[in-house]
Amino acid sequence: MDKIRKKVKSLLTEGKVAGYLGYILREGHPLPHLFTRDHLAELEQAVVPPGDARYPLDKILQALARRYPEDTFTIQVRGCDERGLNELYKWGQLDPDKVVLVGVACPQEQADYCECPGPYPSVVDYGEKCNPVPQSRRVARIDSLGQEAAFQEWLGHFARCVKCYGCRDVCPMCFCKECGLEHPELMSIGKVPPDTIFQLVRAIHMAGRCIDCGLCEEACPADIPLRVLYKKGNLLVKELFDYDTGSLGTGLSPWKSLGDEVTLETKPL
Amino acid sequence: MAEQEFQPKIIGFFCNWCTYAGADLAGVTRLQYPPNIRVIRVMCSGTVSPHHVLRAFQKGADGVLIGGCHIGDCHYLRGNYMTIKRMRFLQDLLKFTGFEADRLHLEWISAAEGPKLAQTVTAFTNKIKSMGPSPLKRLTAKAA
Repeated sequence: MDKIRKKVKSLLTEGKVAGYLGYILREGHPLPHLFTRDHLAELEQAVVPPGDARYPLDKILQALARRYPEDTFTIQVRGCDERGLNELYKWGQLDPDKVVLVGVACPQEQADYCECPGPYPSVVDYGEKCNPVPQSRRVARIDSLGQEAAFQEWLGHFARCVKCYGCRDVCPMCFCKECGLEHPELMSIGKVPPDTIFQLVRAIHMAGRCIDCGLCEEACPADIPLRVLYKKGNLLVKELFDYDTGSLGTGLSPWKSLGDEVTLETKPL
Repeated sequence: MAEQEFQPKIIGFFCNWCTYAGADLAGVTRLQYPPNIRVIRVMCSGTVSPHHVLRAFQKGADGVLIGGCHIGDCHYLRGNYMTIKRMRFLQDLLKFTGFEADRLHLEWISAAEGPKLAQTVTAFTNKIKSMGPSPLKRLTAKAA
């Protein structure tokens, strides 16, 4: 932790960044906080929260960047947060030149829980790199179910939805100003559980965008396994378009442009 | 009363420049195809969002047929590049959730392919008939 404090302190005092978006310990709870040069003493309370305590810092950073477009910020990132930032750069929501990373590696326990394919960021200032989990057992289980069993299972999950929009509101990648989930003609209004397609529409929007942070699933009061759905979406995007969501290597998202060639063929009738 | 044959409701999203014109050609050449399809004309198959397809299923469609120009023939040059990306992805995602992905079909039909249109619509309708009503429709009916 001292390494992070030192790094942030020098960034702030040298004026390289306008603020550090990290966590502060308040009443025993780690809460997201913006540390600034004017309140350097607060850095003593800066923490790296335990593995399972997380907030959508990427989302807060977007709000900060919109409000202070000229300023550079440093932000505490885990592997997933960095994937999110990469994706947000590609979607033109953040400027990579105005973001400085403070990296935190997740503990193995957290990586196993998340089935995380990249549990540490490119810069590690805290924690030890642990082993990534390349395959998701939860996705494999659904894949192995028969069609009818899978359908019944998903229907059971979707029927519990209370339409709180928590999954969307917590999502660091949901930056659209207008949301299809609120479209009065495409989505029935005032109905609980919502249309069966509600989660599918979100899953489509998350494909090639979801950075698998899992906040949606944690926010969901109905315990819908949203993450499994979105993980599969990303696997399909990888399979169909060879696109790695959240990496800077594989170009832009397949949904961002029409593309220069067609590699897919229509399925036979 | 004798059980009536199941008549599926099929929604067609046909592109204005190719498939819709192909349907016109099928019409003027008096080719027969089943009347189960309700065609919605769109300016480009690339304007059909997966959301529209899902909405059609939600509202009780038993099948959705998307018709677009052949690759390379798009009036907007590359609009159908997006169509195939979206629809292939949607088919695979539907399969994962256990919804019969075969209820969604994409076919490239040009303005000159009247017979292909009639044939595709006939084959698709027969397929949906054999599959029976959409499970989503059964669900909606139960809730109502």
